[in-house]
Amino acid sequence: MKQDPAIPPGWSYNPASWPQRIPIIVLALLGFGIATYLALYQLEVFPEVWEPFFGGGSRKILNSSVSHILPIPDAALGAFGYLIDAVAGIIGSKRRWRTMPWIVVVFGLAIGPLGFISVLLVILQPVMFDAWCTLCLASGVISVVMIGPALDEFLASLQYLRRVKDAGESVWKGFWGYKSVTEKVA
Amino acid sequence: MWPRILNTLLGLWLMISPALLGYLGQTAADNDNIVGPIIASVAFTALFEATRGLRWGNLPLGAWLLLAPWVLGYDSTAAIVNNMLVGACVAALSLVGGRVEQQFGGGWSALFTSDSLHAREAKKQDGRPS
Repeated sequence: MKQDPAIPPGWSYNPASWPQRIPIIVLALLGFGIATYLALYQLEVFPEVWEPFFGGGSRKILNSSVSHILPIPDAALGAFGYLIDAVAGIIGSKRRWRTMPWIVVVFGLAIGPLGFISVLLVILQPVMFDAWCTLCLASGVISVVMIGPALDEFLASLQYLRRVKDAGESVWKGFWGYKSVTEKVA
Repeated sequence: MWPRILNTLLGLWLMISPALLGYLGQTAADNDNIVGPIIASVAFTALFEATRGLRWGNLPLGAWLLLAPWVLGYDSTAAIVNNMLVGACVAALSLVGGRVEQQFGGGWSALFTSDSLHAREAKKQDGRPS
């Protein structure tokens, strides 16, 4: 029996299938919405920020020294990161792990570091400022939750590039999905 | 699945325990607020089969919780007991591999060797001799 050619060799499922990708895209869009809202508060478009649990916590965190360490507020950077996650999740077919490794690598590299920075920011809230910010925590949870589901596809693309290398083909061309490589390497 | 869920919850528990057990503002609270989110994130990511191997990351973190009260000199008995119990549970649960039902072409280690499951399966698919 010939297996579905969209499934990577040696895999029992296709990590680039839509049922695998859609939940991550939905989470990224949700994160984008939250981060955009927080960024608009930081840019003083909204005078107040929603904080149901921790009193002045959100105000303290979102106006803290760390949040303004860069020229743009940190939530704006987060929103940009989520947008890259969502776009990199949408682009490409269910064969993209081999036809467009570059987008899968962008996807994995955007989700990994974004998750890492989110954990760091969650740690800094109580340690540096003795405060919690509800929506910042929600955003942190979202970006951590996305890491596991996104990395399997990343692995499939890296394994494909390894096969490209072992076949003596150009990894660079394989990375960009040149036909000359995808026609030769499974 | 359960070892990962329990370790995620234990990580989250560390984040709220300084307030609940009354040692806010102490060194122990800072340690819990740093280690807790990391344990929870590692455990949750290891919930997925393709990244199950990350569970080992919680072994040193659990071990650190066993040492932290003595290295950092905790004042609060509640904090000491909490860190020792949570640390022992996190470390022990990180040792449980659980069931992996899916196949991942040989996993992450397959990236560092030429003869791996995905390479062999790919050769079968395009019918070329190995």
